[in-house]
Amino acid sequence: MTVSTDRSRTGNRTEAEAPGLGIRLLPILDRYGILLVILVMGLVLYALQPDVFFSWRNITNIFKQTAVNSMLAIGMFLVILTAGIDLSVGSVLALGMMSLAVANAAGWAWPIVLLLGPAVGLATGFVNGVGITKLRMPHPFIMTLGMLFMARGLANLISGGVPYTGLPDAVRFLGSAQIELGELDGTRLNLPVGLIVTIVVYLIFWVFLEHSVLGRRIYAIGGNPQAARVSGINVDRVLIFVYSLCGLMAGFAGLMMAGRTNSGFPNAGIGAELEAIAAVIIGGASFFGGRGTVLGVFGGVIIMGLISNTLNLNNVSVFWQQILIGLIIVVAVFLDVVRRGIGTRR
Amino acid sequence: MNTRKLSLTLAVLSISTTVLAATAASAQSILVDMKGPGAGNPFWAAVERGALEKGKELGIDTVVLAPPTESDVAAQITQIEDQLARGIKGLALAPTDPNALAPVVEEAIADGVPVVFIDTQGSNEGVTYIGTDNVAGAALAAKFICEQLPSGSEVAILTGIVTQSTGKARADGARSGLSGCGLKIVAEQSGEWDRAKGLSVMENVITGNPGIKAVFASNDNMALGAVEALKSANMLDKVMVVGFDANPDAADSILAGEMSASVAQNPENMGALGIESLMKLAKGEKLPPVIDTGTVLVTKDNAADYK
Amino acid sequence: MTQAQEEAGSGNYLLEARGITKHFGAVTALRGVDFHVGRGEVLGVVGDNGAGKSTLMKILSGLFAPSRGALIFDGRPIRFQSPHDARDLGIEMVYQDLALAENINIAENIFLGREPVRRLLGGWLPLVDHKAGRDHARQHLDNLHIHVKSVEQRVGELSGGQRQAVAIARATAFDAKLVIMDEPTAALAIKEVGKVLDLIKGLKDRGIGVVLISHRMDDIFYVCDRVMALFHGANFAEAALCDTSRSEVIGWIMGTKEGQGELAHDRVH
Repeated sequence: MTVSTDRSRTGNRTEAEAPGLGIRLLPILDRYGILLVILVMGLVLYALQPDVFFSWRNITNIFKQTAVNSMLAIGMFLVILTAGIDLSVGSVLALGMMSLAVANAAGWAWPIVLLLGPAVGLATGFVNGVGITKLRMPHPFIMTLGMLFMARGLANLISGGVPYTGLPDAVRFLGSAQIELGELDGTRLNLPVGLIVTIVVYLIFWVFLEHSVLGRRIYAIGGNPQAARVSGINVDRVLIFVYSLCGLMAGFAGLMMAGRTNSGFPNAGIGAELEAIAAVIIGGASFFGGRGTVLGVFGGVIIMGLISNTLNLNNVSVFWQQILIGLIIVVAVFLDVVRRGIGTRR
Repeated sequence: MNTRKLSLTLAVLSISTTVLAATAASAQSILVDMKGPGAGNPFWAAVERGALEKGKELGIDTVVLAPPTESDVAAQITQIEDQLARGIKGLALAPTDPNALAPVVEEAIADGVPVVFIDTQGSNEGVTYIGTDNVAGAALAAKFICEQLPSGSEVAILTGIVTQSTGKARADGARSGLSGCGLKIVAEQSGEWDRAKGLSVMENVITGNPGIKAVFASNDNMALGAVEALKSANMLDKVMVVGFDANPDAADSILAGEMSASVAQNPENMGALGIESLMKLAKGEKLPPVIDTGTVLVTKDNAADYK
Repeated sequence: MTQAQEEAGSGNYLLEARGITKHFGAVTALRGVDFHVGRGEVLGVVGDNGAGKSTLMKILSGLFAPSRGALIFDGRPIRFQSPHDARDLGIEMVYQDLALAENINIAENIFLGREPVRRLLGGWLPLVDHKAGRDHARQHLDNLHIHVKSVEQRVGELSGGQRQAVAIARATAFDAKLVIMDEPTAALAIKEVGKVLDLIKGLKDRGIGVVLISHRMDDIFYVCDRVMALFHGANFAEAALCDTSRSEVIGWIMGTKEGQGELAHDRVH
C-alpha cells in the first residue's frame, strides 16, 4: 500500500533511484552503526554479568585497559588512511617506554623524562616516513618491518634488556592517575586520567581529519595519490608527517604504558601493532586507504576492549579472545564488502 | 541490508554468549593467574591441576587464567583488573613481568585481597613467594655433572633470559656449582628459553669448543635443542646434556639415553600451596617470605615418573 | 630585428612555444616543435603513439622542462619550475586517467590542493571551510551547466562522463586561461562523449584556450578551431578546421600528405 503511493508520488524517477528504507538508513548506519554494535554488545554482556558489567569500576577498567591501544590505533588509522601500514608501533612503544625509564633511572628531570617517550616515538616515525618516501621503499611494510626489529633492538640495547622500575608521579600521571569524583553507594568514583586523555586525543584527531586542510589531503592521498600529486600536494611531505604522527602516538602510548605499569620492561608492546591494526579494521577503515572515521576507530578499540573484558570477567580462556577477535575482523570486513557491493549497485 | 548487518552482528554475539554461558562462574573465587596458558605447556598445566585439585579439596571455587603468551604483560594486568572488579578473595600470581605487575598487585592489596606469588617472585614487598629455589635446583644439576666428569673438563651453560629472576638464578646456581668442583666453563650463552634458539646457540658452542664434555641448559626446551645440535654433529655420545624442568619430552629423552638428566620442579605443589597459603592469609595467619616447593634430580632411574 | 618582431607578434597568442626540443638521455622526444594557441581557441593535437604529444603537453603544463626552446605566455617568456608555476599562471591540465580521488566528494575534489579556509581562534586554527567549498562548487558547476545530484556525492558514485565533467570543473575553478586535455573522452561511454564536448565548447565561449589531444576525429571536428599534427617528435602539418578534412588529418597521423603546397604552408615559421 505505502509502496504504491510512494511510487505514484515519485513517478518521474526510475525505480533504482527511489530510495528504500534500507538505502536511506545506509549513510546513518555507515556512520553510527558501530555504536549500535557496541550498544548491543553492552546489553548482552550486562545480561551475562548484571552485578559487575555496568559497575563504575568495570567501565573505567575498560577505558584504562584500552587507553594504550587507543593511542596506537589512532596513529595506525592515519597510516592506513594513506593505504600504508606501520608494523613498528609496538616496538616504538617499547623504545619510547624504555628511553624514558632509563632516562629516569639516570636521574634526568621529570619534565624531560615525560617528553622523552613521545619525542623518541616522533623521531622513529620520522625515520619511517623518510625511509618510505625518500629511500623509495617498495612498500611501507618493508620500512616499518625493519623498524620493528631496529626499535625493539634499540630498546633492549639502551636498557640492557632489563626492566626499570619506579617513575615519578608526574610521569605516571597520564597512564595511571585517577581523579576522585566522590562516592556513590559506598563505592569510590574514580575517573582514570587515561580516559580523559583518550577522549581529548580522539577529539583532536577528529577535528584534524575532518576539518583541517592537511587532514582532508590525507584522505585524498588515500583515495588517489596521483590525483593529490597533480593537485600540487607534496605527497611525500604529507606521508612523512603521517608516519611521524603515528610514531608520536606510539611513543605516547609508551608513556601511558610506563605510567600504568610504573616501569619500563623489555616485552612491552609485543604484538601491539596487530591489535592496533585489528581495531582500525574492525572500525571500518579500508586497507586500500581513504576510508574510515575517527569514531569508527574508537568503536573498534572499544569492541576489542569489551571482548577482552567480558571474557576475563567470565573466566574464559584467552584463546577464545583470540578466536573472537579474528572472527570479528573477518566479519567486519565481510560486512564492508557487502556494503560496498550495495554502494556500487546504487 | 541493515537487517543483514544486524543479523550477522547478532550471530557473532550469540556465539560469544554461548561460550560465556558455558563457563560463567560464581563471583567469590580465588584467582590463579599464570604466566602462560596450561594448554600446550605441561608446566603450567601442572600448576593449574595442583591449584584446581587443592581448591576442590578445600571446597573453594578456583579460577585459573593466563595471558595468551608469556610476553603479554598487558593482557595479564587486564585480567587481574577485571577480576578485581568482579570481586575475588585471593590472588596467586605468576607475574609475566614482576615490575610491570606491581601496580595492579598494589591495587589488589589495597582492595584487601590476599596475594601470593607463585613460580616467579614479584617486586612487591611483604608478599610471600611460593616456588622453586632455582639456585639450589641448578646446583643440583651441576653436582650431577661434576660427579660424572674429571676435574678440568670443558662445559657450557645455555642460559634462559637472564634479565628474569629465574633465568639469572639458574645461571648463577649452575655457574658456581660447575666452577666450584673444578670444571672449566668455556661458554655461557642465552638460548632465551627456546628450543630453536637453544639449538643454534649450541651449534655455535660446539663449533668453537669441540672438546666440551657437558652442557647445562636452564630449561628442557633448550636442552632438547642442544641434543639436536649434538646429534647432527655426531657428538651426542661424547657430550652429556642436563636440562631443567623435567618435562615429559625431556623424560622421554632421558629414557632414550639422549639427555642425561634434568631437574624437576614441583609445579603442582606451586598451585596447591598457592591456594593453601591464600586460605591461611584469609584466616589471618602469617606466612614465611619464601616457601620452597622443592627440586628433584631426574635421571634414567626415575624419569619414567615424569612422562 | 626578427626576434623583436616575433616577440611583438606573439602578443596575439595566449601561449606560444618556439623550437621546443626535449631529450631523454639519448632519446629525442621533441625536435624544434613550434606551437601556439589563442584565447577562446580550441586546438586539436593529433599524432600517432610516440609522436611526442604527451611530452609536449607535459612541457606546457610545467611537468618537464624543455631541453631547448622558449615558452611565451600572454606575451611574456616563462620558465616553469613545477606544475605549480603553470597553475599559478592559469594553465590547467585534465588527465586521461581522471585524476580524482574517488573516496571524497565532488566539492572536495574540485578544491583539492586549493581548499577554502576559515580561521578560528583569532587565526590560530585554520580549518577547511566546507560550506564555502560546497557553495562555490555548486555555483561553478551551475555556470558550466554540469548537473549532479549533490556536490556532496562521492566521486566514486559518478559515471565516467560525470567524473570527466568534474575534472574539467576542477581545472577551471580558479580562473583558468588555458586548459590542456589529454584524451578526455577516451574512457567514456558514447552517450557521455557529447556532454563533455559541449562542456569544452562552453569553455571556449568563456574565452578559455583549450588544447585537446585526441584520437577521435569526431571529437576534433566537433569542437576544434584548428588542428596540428606531430610526427616523430616534429611539427608535421597544421590547418584551420575549415581548410581540412578527416581523411587528410588521418593521413597526417600516419605521416602522409596530399600535396606539396601543404608542406610549404607548414614550414612558414
